Amino acid sequence: MKIDKKLIKELVDNLDEFKLSELEYQSGDTKIKVSKWADISSANRVSETTMSNEKDVLSDEEVGVKIKSPIIGTAYLAAEPGAKQFIQIGDKVKKGQTIMIVEAMKTMNHVPASSEGVVKSILVTDGQPVEFGQTLILLK
Amino acid sequence: MFKKVLIGNRGEIAVRVIRACKEWGIATVAVHSDVDADSMHVRLADESVCIGSHQPQNSYLNIGAIMSAVDLTGAQAVHPGYGFLSENAKFAEIVNKHGIKFVGPSAELIRKMGDKIEAKKIAKMYGLPIIEGSEGSVKNFDEAKKICSTIAYPVLIKAAGGGGGKGMKIVEKESELENLFLTAKSEAKKYFGNDELYIEKYFKNPRHIEVQVLSGKNRTVHLQERDCSVQRRHQKLIEETPSPILTEEVRSKLLSSTVSMVEKLGYEGAGTIEYIYEDKKFYFLEMNTRIQVEHPVTEVVTGIDIIKEQLWIAHTGNTALQQSDINPRGHAIECRINAENPSKNFQPSPGTISVCHLPSGFRTRVDGAIFQGCKITPYYDSLIAKLICHGRNREEAIQRMKRSLDEFVIEGIDTTVDLHKKIISHDKFINSNFDTNWLAKEKII
Repeated sequence: MKIDKKLIKELVDNLDEFKLSELEYQSGDTKIKVSKWADISSANRVSETTMSNEKDVLSDEEVGVKIKSPIIGTAYLAAEPGAKQFIQIGDKVKKGQTIMIVEAMKTMNHVPASSEGVVKSILVTDGQPVEFGQTLILLK
Repeated sequence: MFKKVLIGNRGEIAVRVIRACKEWGIATVAVHSDVDADSMHVRLADESVCIGSHQPQNSYLNIGAIMSAVDLTGAQAVHPGYGFLSENAKFAEIVNKHGIKFVGPSAELIRKMGDKIEAKKIAKMYGLPIIEGSEGSVKNFDEAKKICSTIAYPVLIKAAGGGGGKGMKIVEKESELENLFLTAKSEAKKYFGNDELYIEKYFKNPRHIEVQVLSGKNRTVHLQERDCSVQRRHQKLIEETPSPILTEEVRSKLLSSTVSMVEKLGYEGAGTIEYIYEDKKFYFLEMNTRIQVEHPVTEVVTGIDIIKEQLWIAHTGNTALQQSDINPRGHAIECRINAENPSKNFQPSPGTISVCHLPSGFRTRVDGAIFQGCKITPYYDSLIAKLICHGRNREEAIQRMKRSLDEFVIEGIDTTVDLHKKIISHDKFINSNFDTNWLAKEKII
């Protein structure tokens, strides 16, 4: 049987156009099924991401040095409940200093400041779920 | 039997308990956090109650919320699973006080065995060998010398205020003791502001061996031992039964002294007594007063459903089993499938499972809570499934495990599947020539 590449391309385009995950086409003895699994999961991830619209939150003049979460998890501003926060707004931080902890699967990941600066704003609250790459604090 | 049981847990163990309940004809109540609303245990249970937000202290550790769910659904018993509130004496006490049965031992025993010092005392009193060492801090070198000669070298000197390996010294022979003792003392002073030192026996090549028991008011039976010596960061990765390194003589002593201790304890339920094993001797480590992750290896060789027995003991107070009912056959191995990346120092790997194919076939069991499209959130433990293979002997169990691991397909997240393939094909694993430090020392990944 000759593979009709044009038809397959058309079916794949339809997947995108109509935002489908799977499409089956049958004509006589020929049956073609196209599906896209990987894309669905990534699409889900984007729609569920709390930070995907970072731009909406931060206007242009607000841009400072962003310190981002290295992992998806739960952000903690202090080492333990009731303890002193790692940083406060206005604090001077050194490069490498711990600014937050992000817990993922019972593993505590210390988030270091990627550069020196003064804490301009803290964008997450204690115990908040954070995504990979989500901006945690801004330095100026 | 109970009419309705609430499972105060999540993930694979909640699924495991729900299955056992269903086979007893017991209605099941799942509790879940907001992010677990679509998870397997919620789907399989007859009823489910959301008990709080993603953080464990707001949901799976939230005693008030769980008690409300019990009240709301009219459950007669609570099965705590492992982890979370399973060894929380206060929780057991509150459950029982409300006329609900906590599936496990009494709050008093949970408290006693959860206290390391108290547990060690009890174990010693009831005839178990414990890890010898100084009782309290060692004042001076002369006292240290005396203690070391009674417990025999090598010994470990530990700082009372220590941690992270600082202030710890391994002493191989007496001639080294003075120098190392004084160094440890000054380091302890420097690092911890406290120069108090302890001395205990040091294990060079320890194996982790544990004994499964089921115990009621009427009697205690053992379900043989498990060997859990393949570990990473002190967490078990592979477990097997029987232990490939015990002689019959040591095994029978280990099992009989464990049963005798648990009987004297007056324990009710399923429990595990953990030991360090080295040079044909075993030493009491701790007792887990709950079901354990690795219980399935014991189930497949004995044919006993430990969770169903737990429920029976909780209901009647007695175990229906006699020791003569326990006739283990063959060898079983369990590999823990964790959502983590072994080549990045076991970094957690949350995400969505895009493709999920579980192995099956003759004497192959998978206990898990995963399915295609399910989300592995970062909020809980990384264990997502357990693969258990049974063989006529260890060799066949290994062959079956290899075959099953090859069938295991999980895409979308990193897992320990490939690491397991390497471990079980490794000469040291095949010859059972390893100890609990093996993975930390050997480059396998």
